[in-house]
This record gives sequence, structure tokens and C-alpha cells, in this order.
Amino acid sequence: MLSATAIVQNTPLFGRMFTVDRSTGLEDINAWPSLMVMTSFVWLIAAALLGLLMPAVQLLEVNTNVFYTAITAHGAAMAFPFAFQLMMGVSLHRAGGCLGKKASGILPALMYYCMNIGGVLLTVAVFLGLKISYTVMFPLPLVGVQTGQWSMGLVVLGFTGIALVLTTVIFLYPFQLLRMTFFSRQHQELVLSPRTIKDPGMVGMIMAALVLLLTGTPLMIIAGAIMLGLYGLVPLTAITWATEPVVFQFAFYIFAHNLMEAMAIMVISAVYATLPLYLADGTRKLYSDKLANLALWILLVTSVTSFFHHFYNMFPALPATLSYHGNIMSWGTGMGAALSIFTILATIWKHGIRPEPGLMAILMGFVVYIFDGATAMVIANVAVNNQLHATVAVGGHAMSVLMAMSFMWMGVFYHHYPVITGRKLDRTLGNRFVALYTVGAMGLLFTFQAGGAAGMPRRIADWVQSGYMGYGVLMLIFGLVLSAAFVVYLVNLQRSREIASEGAETAEATA
Amino acid sequence: MLDFLYQSGWGALTLMLLMQIPFVIIFLTVVYKKGFVDSGPSSTHPKKYSRVEATWLGFAVVFFVLVNALSIGYMPMVASANSARAAAESNQEVLDVDVTARSWSFDISERTYEAGQPVRFQARSADTMHSFSVYHPDGRVLFTMQLVPGLEQPAARVYTFTKPGRYKVRCLEYCGMIHHAMQDELVVVEKKRS
Repeated sequence: MLSATAIVQNTPLFGRMFTVDRSTGLEDINAWPSLMVMTSFVWLIAAALLGLLMPAVQLLEVNTNVFYTAITAHGAAMAFPFAFQLMMGVSLHRAGGCLGKKASGILPALMYYCMNIGGVLLTVAVFLGLKISYTVMFPLPLVGVQTGQWSMGLVVLGFTGIALVLTTVIFLYPFQLLRMTFFSRQHQELVLSPRTIKDPGMVGMIMAALVLLLTGTPLMIIAGAIMLGLYGLVPLTAITWATEPVVFQFAFYIFAHNLMEAMAIMVISAVYATLPLYLADGTRKLYSDKLANLALWILLVTSVTSFFHHFYNMFPALPATLSYHGNIMSWGTGMGAALSIFTILATIWKHGIRPEPGLMAILMGFVVYIFDGATAMVIANVAVNNQLHATVAVGGHAMSVLMAMSFMWMGVFYHHYPVITGRKLDRTLGNRFVALYTVGAMGLLFTFQAGGAAGMPRRIADWVQSGYMGYGVLMLIFGLVLSAAFVVYLVNLQRSREIASEGAETAEATA
Repeated sequence: MLDFLYQSGWGALTLMLLMQIPFVIIFLTVVYKKGFVDSGPSSTHPKKYSRVEATWLGFAVVFFVLVNALSIGYMPMVASANSARAAAESNQEVLDVDVTARSWSFDISERTYEAGQPVRFQARSADTMHSFSVYHPDGRVLFTMQLVPGLEQPAARVYTFTKPGRYKVRCLEYCGMIHHAMQDELVVVEKKRS
């Protein structure tokens, strides 16, 4: 038994939901993915509660420190130990089952431990007082020490956590994907649905791995230098090239922006891989693999340098040319999305679909993704950005794209659940999950966009005093709806029934 | 109409809806029809798919180009240059205002301006990331300047206030535990008759 399987089995409450069916002989592609997905949901619960806490804190006019703690912890937990780890788990299972390669061994184990230990360290630092938001806002961590907001010890603790998380995201996970794709030995008994690397479902995965690795390495170099300075191994004066705020900010956003794009490429790839499996006529083919791949290539090429949209308002420090470039590239990603929309709709129109909950979660997640894409493109226009930058419109966009991607990945996991666990999910609960998630996610998306349109700043702790509490109440309401969706999803996992025992009961009932 | 679209948050929301509403109507119609009404394979001719594809992509390209081309005059660097040029052509003096942002206050060299007078804001941060964001009295954001510490060249914007009133200034880049209180005010008065 793999250690991952043992951890899942021994986890109270959640273990049953994600238990690995060892009888299929697929433990090598199921165990670590299942553990990652299970752990991601534990983080989801914590992060969701923190998310609900924020409007509640504002409504009750509680100490602003609680708000800033919640906003830092919620963002960090949702983005990495939940959404990224969910993606890691599901994608490793998919890659293993499509390529016949093991998703076990030292690399997946390291991925898991670095992500989660890093997340815990950062969470502890935040709860002890390191309130830097999930984008770090460098040089705020160091300025905060100088202004007495938190201690250097907390900065060291928090940055250590961040470094471990980034090690997983930038090195370990891409290495694992590339290893599975190009190097490790194929095991025929692990192949569930054979794919090649030309398949749109695989192309996106390889692109994502390379994007993370290449755009993240400069940040890791800078972060590594800062860590050496924080631990006193080198004097801080020797690493001013790394601690220069504009250097850090550009390296950070070159990575952070492309992290989101890589996750988007991964999930669109997953949509391309999963949709054909639900076609009503059984063809199991997209309308056009070439169009699907073209969309991914456009998304890749345009997304890499669209990160300048994070810096438009630094003009003239950011030359206007680079702003225009960022604007054009940001809208270029929309062309990739336009091709994806056509490919998906043409596939559905041509072949019909079986509207199972897993597929509906993927398709409604795609709807949220495109809605968010529209908001992102508008905000990425230089003129519009001057009004909306740093309002909740932008914070809402970051949240909405993660909600959309998580929705799609939860749909993909729903699809793979029987193979991983040997259990079947309830259709009614599945449909209820899709409905609640759609309402919650769309409600939050439009609340944030409307708040931003009204000028509501992001990351401020005075909603009542500034007259924005109406939007805060809507955030709370739709946040509760979204949370209900998560509860329904988990209840469905909890109530799942073994496929073998269900078959026996059906036979008994019809006898 | 263009002023509304590119100079207000609600205009931006309108642009978003212009893309979202047609998409969701078409997407959900197709999913509903082929998932719940008639999931059988369609007999649509392949050429029709190609025509739809070309039309859709053509529309997307035209829309994208149009929205961005029409926005050029509203981009802050273009608007600033236009304001500065207009002032030079009319021999009007541009008032230079220096702003230094530090946790958690603004040091603004001059806070009162005449309506119709171009003002060149040059802003820096003294410690961490801040922004110098100016709100219209009606609550919408007029412009934002992102301030990254350590830059030799300050962020710069030429802006002409046209309406007398009190304009709130806020920092919109999270800068610590008193970030929400980092606010100030600018006053625009009627132009003095010469």
C-alpha cells in the first residue's frame, strides 16, 4: 500500500470520501492524486470560512486586523493549497491514465509535502500577524517590519512557506508532468484512455508545465536570494538586485500572471479531453483537434507577455509601448477563447451530449470562465484600467477565474471519481451542486464587478464607513450560496456507494 | 457614449455585458437543445460550420479592434499628452503638483486647483507600494497612478478638473494595516475671472 493511500484511509471524515480502490491495480495513478484532492478540499473549507468571515467582519465592524488577516489567508489558501493542488491531483491522475505512467514515487510525495507544509507555515505566519495579502505586495513585508506592523520572524516564517509552495508550483509539478510525458516507462495496465502528446488534452498540459517552469524560474532565483538574506546566510546589502521593488514586482507578475494562464491552459485542455467522452452519439471526438490545439497555442503565445497589464498605471516608468503591447496581448488571449468557444459549441451541436453532472459542471465552469474572460479583457484595456485598477473589479476577476477553473476541475474529478474510488455519485446531488455553484459564482462575479464599477477599492477594511456595505452583503449572500455548493459536493462524495454493491442491489431488486 | 464607456466603471461593465450576454444566450441554447431536447447528431453541412466559424471569428476580431481603437484617446498617456499640448497651444500654464505617498498619508504640494486648469501630478512612494487614486465627487474613480518605491522617474499624469468640488484621494494598493485610512482630499474651485 502506498503511503498516500494509508494517509487517505486514516483521515477522519474525508478519508471515506476519497478512499482509493486498490482492487483495480491502479493505485499508482490514484493514490497521490486522491490524497492531493482530499487535502485541497480541507483547505477549501478553511479558506471558504475565511471568505465568509470578511463581509461578516465588515458588517459587524469588527477590528480591521481580522479583515486583513482573513484577506491574506483566504487568498493564499484558495489559490494554492486548494485550487492549484486540486488541479495537481486531478491532472496527475489524468496524465497517468492517458499515458500509462505512474503518478507515484518521490516527486509526487515531495509535491504534496512542500505544498501543504508551505501552506501551513504561511497560514501560521498570517494568523500570527503577517498581513501582506496573497500577492505579497513587496516590499511591504520588509516595510511592515520597519513600521512595527509585524516581526522579522514572521516574515521569515511566511517567506519560507511561500518558498515551499512555489517550489512545488514552479519546479516539482512541471518536472513531474514532463517526466510522465517524455521520460518514464509506460505501464500498459495503467492506461485507461490512451492519448498521445498531439491530443489537445495533452498539449495543454505540456504547455502549462513549460510556462510554469520558464516564467517561474526568475522569481525563484529572486526568492531564493531573499531567503538567503532573511536567514542571514548573506547580507541583505549583497542582494539589493533582488530586493529592488520594481525587480521583484516584475518577476513576481511575470510568474503570477502566467501561473493563472497556465492553469487556464490546463483546464481548457481538460475540457477538450473530457467533453468528447460525453457525446451522445459515442464518437468521442472533438469537432476539430486542429482548432482546439490552435486555440491553446494562441492562448500560450499571447498570455506570456500580457502581464504588462499589471503595470499600466506606472506610466511613464512603464513605457507606453509596453502598455499597448500588454493591451493587445491580453485581448489576443480572447481570440484563443473565441476559438475554444467555437470548438466546444460545434462539438456539442454536431454530436449531442449526455448532460451528466460532471459534464455540466465542466460546461458551466466554462461559462463562468468566459464571463470572467470578458471582464478581464475589458479591464486589460489601458483606458478602462485607469478607472478599475485596484478596485474590487480586479480582485473579483482574480477570484472569478479561480472559481471557474475550480468548477471545471471539480467536474473533471466528478468524472474520474468512480475509477479512483470504485464508488458512484448521486446524480441529483450532482445537479444540485452545478446549480448552486453557478448561481454562487455568477452572483459573486457580478457583485465584484458592480462594486468595482462603483469605485469600491479592493483590500480595504472600511466598507461601512466608505458606503460599500451593500456590495458586502451581496458578497456574503452569494458566498453562502457557493459554500452550499461545496457542501453538496462533499455530501455527494460522502454518500457515494460502491459500484459493486450497487450492482448487487440492482440485481437483487430486479430478481 | 464613448466618455461613458471608457471613463466610468459602469461603462466598463456595459462593455463586459456586451460580450457576456450574447455568449451565454447562444451557449446555453446550444447546450440545452443538444443535451435536453434533441441529443441526436446534427445533419448540419460541414460548409455551414465553416461559415459560422469564419463569421464568428471575423466578428470577434472586428469587435476587439473597434473596442481598443476607440479607447486610444482615453488612455492616460494619450490623454495626458493631449492635455499638455492643449495647454501649450492656449498658453495656459500647467500646474505642477508633487505627491509623495508614505504609510499612511499623502504629502501633496498643492491641494486646490481651478476648474479648467491642467494639473501635472508627479507622484512617488517613499516606502512600499501605494497608489494615488482620485475620485470624482459622484464616487467614480477618475484616475489611478501606481507608485512603486525606488523608481527614479515618478509616475506622472496631466489632468484637467472641469467641475468644482471636493475630490477624494485614496490609496488603492494594499499597504498595511492602516491602508483603508490612507485618504486625502483635493479641492477644485471655480476659475477666477481675469
